[in-house]
Amino acid sequence: MTRGRVLDGIGTLARLGLAAVWLASGLIKALDPAQTYVAVRAYDVLPREAVGVVAGVLPWFELALGVLLLLGIGTRAVAWLSAGLLLVFVAGVTQAWARGLNIDCGCFGGGGAVAPGQTQYVQEILRDTGFLLLAAWLIVRPRTLFAVENRLAGSLVTSGSGAERN
Amino acid sequence: MGGADRSDRKRRQAAAEARLRAAGITPKRRGLGGSGLVLTIVAVVVIAAIVVGVVVTMNNKAADSAAPAPTYPVARNGAAITAGQAAAPVTVDIYEDYLCPYCERFETTYKDELTTALNAGQIKVNYHAISILDRASNPVGYSTRAANAAICAADAGIFPAYHAQLYAEQPAEGSAGFSNDELTAKGTALGAGPAFGQCVAAQANTGLIENATNTAAATPALQSNGQFGTPTIAVNGTKVDVNDTDWLQKAIQA
Repeated sequence: MTRGRVLDGIGTLARLGLAAVWLASGLIKALDPAQTYVAVRAYDVLPREAVGVVAGVLPWFELALGVLLLLGIGTRAVAWLSAGLLLVFVAGVTQAWARGLNIDCGCFGGGGAVAPGQTQYVQEILRDTGFLLLAAWLIVRPRTLFAVENRLAGSLVTSGSGAERN
Repeated sequence: MGGADRSDRKRRQAAAEARLRAAGITPKRRGLGGSGLVLTIVAVVVIAAIVVGVVVTMNNKAADSAAPAPTYPVARNGAAITAGQAAAPVTVDIYEDYLCPYCERFETTYKDELTTALNAGQIKVNYHAISILDRASNPVGYSTRAANAAICAADAGIFPAYHAQLYAEQPAEGSAGFSNDELTAKGTALGAGPAFGQCVAAQANTGLIENATNTAAATPALQSNGQFGTPTIAVNGTKVDVNDTDWLQKAIQA
């Protein structure tokens, strides 16, 4: 029981930590659409039209993940989505590195081309790997404290069994 | 009827759970209904976010059908190209580099609004081609070559369309950029005569562009925190913040 409590606590920290990541990066991107467009374009993967769509949707998608994690709704499903998005980011940074592009990941604002020698691909990938570990924890063990989904599930079970007995 | 079905299913489920319990297995209360509701909320929130993103993107992108055609005069003064009527009450200075991705954003975002105001004689725009990103192409020098070609385009009478096209097709930083032959072909396709190609190849405006770049970079009124960058936009000599999407309307109404 104590062990379960501790694991719940760790999971809660992972959930709120990942929520903070998405809320911060989503908000920064949503507030500066031009910057976000330039950052997405710098990966040099997508055609111009697609860059516009991705740059337009990405901040709001990140904010949605952040809000759901903050509230604790569908933690495991949102952790899966988070892991998928983080893997896309890691793939983007890796291809830029492999192709010899000189860009900033634009993970938390910024982005676009940088001078050769100013790239930080290792740090960027390590940071995303850290976020991936948070997501992985929540996928394996999504139970956390102060989650709205606990109340939703609880109320449904109560009303269900109540109806059965009456 | 549906209720009867449901209670029947519940009874069978309860019986199954009772058998499991008798066998010493604690049935997991997964709460399928709860999980379904939660997943529905997740799906709704995520889809709503995507819709918001798409709508915001569409709103920012000007409708192609409504794009006004330039009808304003263009004159050249050294490396600066002046669009619009000389008597226009508001002067906008645009310092831009043809390789700068934020300049592409500025052009894409405000092109139609600027064209409308230029056509109406409300503003005149001095385009200053700056070459601070010469080192960001490989081989170096695309910023200067493109700026030179744009000056040639002003002389050839195709500046508005040529300027728009260089941004619509802007090469990526780190790439080679367009060759002089490609720069010539774009102008020829827009109706420029043979003198245009000679002008692009001769690169005779390189010195003018370098001087204009150094002058702009050394002008305190154009700097932020002691730094000059592109795009920099000034209205009647005062630098404006173009993240404020109303900057042009405010300038016209002031």
